[in-house]
Amino acid sequence: MNVLGKLMRNPPLLTLILVVAVLVIASLTLRGFGSYGHLRYIMELAAVIGIVAAGQTLVILMGGIDLSAGAIMTVTAIMLPLLSPAFDPTGLIGIVVILAIATLIGFLNGAGAAWLGVPPIIMTLAMATFLQGLLVIVAGGSAVSVTNAAVIWLGQGRLFGISASVILWAVVSVAVIVLIHRMPIGGRFLALGANPVAAQLSGVSVTRHTLIVFALSGFFAGVAGILILGMNRQGYVGIGEPYVLTSIAAVVLGGTSILGGRGTYAGTIPGAILLVTTTALITVVNASAGWRSIMFGTLILGLLLISGREARSR
Amino acid sequence: MTSDRSPVVEARVLSKGFFGNPVLKGVSISLLAGRVHALLGENGAGKSTLINLLSGALVPDAGEVLIDGKSTGRYDPKAARAAGIAVVQQELSLTAELSIAENIGLGAYPLRLGLIDYKALRERAAEACALVGLTEPLDMPVGDLALGRRQMVEIAKALYRKPRVLILDEPTSSLSAHEAGVLSGLVRRLASERVAILYISHRLDEVRSLCDHVTILKDGIVTADQSLSGVDGQSLVRLMVGRDPGDLFPPHQTNKAGARRIAVEGFAAGMVRDVNFSANAGEIVGIGGLVGQGQEDFLLGLYGAIPASAGEAEISGRPGLATSVGAANALGLAYVPADRKKEGLVLTHSIAANLILPSLGQKMKNGMRDRGAERNLIASLAKRLDIKGDTGRAVQALSGGNQQKVALAKWLPKTPSILLLNDPTRGVDIETKREIYLMLQGFAAEGKLVILLSSDTPELVHLCDRVLVFSEGRVVRSLERGAITEEAIVGAAMGLERSEVA
Amino acid sequence: MSALTSNLYIAVQGRRNRGLAGIYLLVFLLVALYIFLSPGILSVAGFSKFTQNWFPLALVTLAQALLMLNGGISLAIGPMVSLGAVIAATTMGGALGVPGGIVAAAIAGLALGALMGLVVAYLRLPAIIVTLASSFIIGGIALIVLPRPGGIIPPWFSDLLAGNVPTAFLLLVLVLVAWKIFLMTPTGLGIYAAGDNPVGAYRSGVSVDRVKLMAFALSGLLTALAGLFVAAQTGSGDPVIGTPFTLNSIAGAVLGGVGFLGGKGTMRGAICGSLILSLMINVMFFMGFPPVAQYVAQGLIIVGAVAIPNLVARWRRA
Repeated sequence: MNVLGKLMRNPPLLTLILVVAVLVIASLTLRGFGSYGHLRYIMELAAVIGIVAAGQTLVILMGGIDLSAGAIMTVTAIMLPLLSPAFDPTGLIGIVVILAIATLIGFLNGAGAAWLGVPPIIMTLAMATFLQGLLVIVAGGSAVSVTNAAVIWLGQGRLFGISASVILWAVVSVAVIVLIHRMPIGGRFLALGANPVAAQLSGVSVTRHTLIVFALSGFFAGVAGILILGMNRQGYVGIGEPYVLTSIAAVVLGGTSILGGRGTYAGTIPGAILLVTTTALITVVNASAGWRSIMFGTLILGLLLISGREARSR
Repeated sequence: MTSDRSPVVEARVLSKGFFGNPVLKGVSISLLAGRVHALLGENGAGKSTLINLLSGALVPDAGEVLIDGKSTGRYDPKAARAAGIAVVQQELSLTAELSIAENIGLGAYPLRLGLIDYKALRERAAEACALVGLTEPLDMPVGDLALGRRQMVEIAKALYRKPRVLILDEPTSSLSAHEAGVLSGLVRRLASERVAILYISHRLDEVRSLCDHVTILKDGIVTADQSLSGVDGQSLVRLMVGRDPGDLFPPHQTNKAGARRIAVEGFAAGMVRDVNFSANAGEIVGIGGLVGQGQEDFLLGLYGAIPASAGEAEISGRPGLATSVGAANALGLAYVPADRKKEGLVLTHSIAANLILPSLGQKMKNGMRDRGAERNLIASLAKRLDIKGDTGRAVQALSGGNQQKVALAKWLPKTPSILLLNDPTRGVDIETKREIYLMLQGFAAEGKLVILLSSDTPELVHLCDRVLVFSEGRVVRSLERGAITEEAIVGAAMGLERSEVA
Repeated sequence: MSALTSNLYIAVQGRRNRGLAGIYLLVFLLVALYIFLSPGILSVAGFSKFTQNWFPLALVTLAQALLMLNGGISLAIGPMVSLGAVIAATTMGGALGVPGGIVAAAIAGLALGALMGLVVAYLRLPAIIVTLASSFIIGGIALIVLPRPGGIIPPWFSDLLAGNVPTAFLLLVLVLVAWKIFLMTPTGLGIYAAGDNPVGAYRSGVSVDRVKLMAFALSGLLTALAGLFVAAQTGSGDPVIGTPFTLNSIAGAVLGGVGFLGGKGTMRGAICGSLILSLMINVMFFMGFPPVAQYVAQGLIIVGAVAIPNLVARWRRA
């Protein structure tokens, strides 16, 4: 009983165990589910969610929420081919430029929240709408293909048999965990999320950290947008949309409180894998689009009821 | 009044704890019809917990509540209301956007055909308002009222339900003298109408003039349950604190005045206007006055937490005011808020995380936080302030006094030269109070400037070298050491002329 | 009713116009501009058409404001509109007929709304997550009911709701009257009280959880009926037609001064907010902006609607 009690109080571990259980059961019952190729595929998909959720984790830890992450991914995926100059065979210039743009968009979210006093949920929702309209005006409605070499390698390349996207995710994970637990700014994010007034009176600047956290979220959404573009080789309007819910779900499944101030990225990682695995299961079941959508929503709700206990409001 | 009647509400050996801390240990209390019963005790003695148990908001760990001598099964707020118990708590239960009448009737509206009967509501609300002397229009949104008036609405809301038992938790803390007078009359009248009243207050004179019987709580135990007739103030205090009040304060020390730390002219912030003020290292400067006269704005303005302006200003030898909290910290200012739960501490975080928060980034190795050095720092702080136990525990598990020590201690690594303290002993047990007083003297002796805002006038008298008395945002009197007496401070706060005080 | 009754009630109602002067003025100016750009609105047919375009937005804004006043929010408004639309389009042409279709859509909205409210109130998960996940579930149900655009609304019913008669306006008046009556019940005022000060409301005897459940259920009902109207307008069903309404409902409520933390704002403000939004979309159309420019403008307007009062308040304080 004691072990179980401890487990219930450690959401990251609980989520991890759930992931393993789901994988084991699925690989035993479904042909091809546990193969290395399939696992790699799942990890690649999880990498995209995991990287958007990195920014989302930071924002939620600080007591905010970023509903524009999906739109920023879409912006990245559509604009990158337009911004990659032909004279640069590596494609790195395009990546740097687009990441700067993504970060700037995030910064604008932060500016709205910090300087204009717009609640993050409204600010980022408005930003998402704004970007949606802007994209259609700027880029038209059609899909764009990518030729940027670096992007394609990130999306599809491998190093020692491990997908480049998964390696990138690992790098992001280490960086974010270090940021939260080993850098002063992480401690300040957590304090601001738990009690902004006390944190501010302790000398932590709300304005500065709001700007930083939303800029970081924009940056990570940009990175995820590049990955999804490289994987699909095509960008289109709406490509990033599903990632708003999945990134938030991954964070909350990982035991981070949606109210801020408590949590860790170490939980978001298994959270992302769990989401992808269950989505993959749904796909295998071969249901219609409607049923898939229902199962997806129900699963997330169900998982939250099990492991998101920490996220409850009282 | 005699006590041979049977009690309306009786609590029998109630016990309750939070986060493993026992707050009430076997407390019994009986409320009789027509008797005004005082409940005394320091903050943290368990008064609020007892009220919450009596009103059904909390469930006791042990013991039971009896109504009219009958044991209650499932005792919740609904059952308490049904039994005629009404509570006026310090945390108001009002809705800002709704009108006075709608607030008063909330939860017990008169209905006609399922709809609120505004005519009946108006009549009954007006009746309740008349009892407490509320003359504002009944359709006025409560959000437009000053705090004291809202408190009166809260009391009217309790009376609207025609209670048999009325529990008043520090009802006069935000009331003007006039409003407090109205309330006293009301309490007497209700008692004569055989309402049982439980009256919680810190104002001993108020208690002695109004109440018949007293229960005193100290550290969760009843130390007295007796009639108030023939009991003097001194012995009440002794029962509350468990020692003679005289020992509380250490003897006053005067330090050699050091360099000038703060000098402002024409200072304004929030409701503060036209304050000229200067203070030197080694001083303890008191800030007094009635509640809410701009004292807090004065500290927050100096601290850069609210916009402030000054004709001329110099802080720690630099011209100008701090424009942000960060800038204030850089100038050597530190601020300890009065409301440590909402403003002073991150309650859900660990003691360690709270202690390190202001100085995050001070202990670094290779660009990362040096966890080992941080641990040592935290351990030394905990040792210096005598905070016992695991520093990984959440701060909310600590007692009020220990929480306050954390709120103070977290600034020490920054070695501030100016300490702005907002009521640092509010809700703190007597032992910790004494420790804090000694610390303040120690700070001043080390050459820090201590600015002490306090609602506890004896504190100002015993500790301060100088006291500024605020009224309506202005400094109305500056008292030097020899002239600091309770009478002088209170007199100045009430607007009495100097001659009248003397 | 005696004079006393009307006194307090009317006085209370009058007070609720406080702080709405700016919004009323904006509505007035936009209406004037609209009449200038398109004088046809002054005819019965023109007025009918205009109110028909506004009506579903007004309904979802009310639905969203109802939740926001109670301290919640719904990100499932869009899919619920779609669901209402496809239910109407698949049932009304069949054996159930028009009345059956109305009942079916209403029950679906009430039930799904109540379910979300149940999870939020009693299982204590945050509204934003519950409604976000529910948006997938409800959207999925809509796709199952009607996988691709189709179905039929009987033409006479379409003409009745969305023809050249001001039925939509009358319905809106009816909804507002119903809201006024609801606000005269203890539950109605409980929505405010539980949104502004849940602990205080609980101590006063308001069943905070039940009020929350009620708010979600009513909000679902209004949203599904908005979907039914949209289907009548287009004559058929579409499983994704509601998508833009999620954001629009929040935009309308925010424009109308409904606060995010509960207990702040009024329904009359929310209605004005939706009207402003609707007028603006029309005015932009007349001025020749492409349809997507709407999104850009809307994003800016939402931020402006929240930011400007904040900045003004800060400026006044300083």
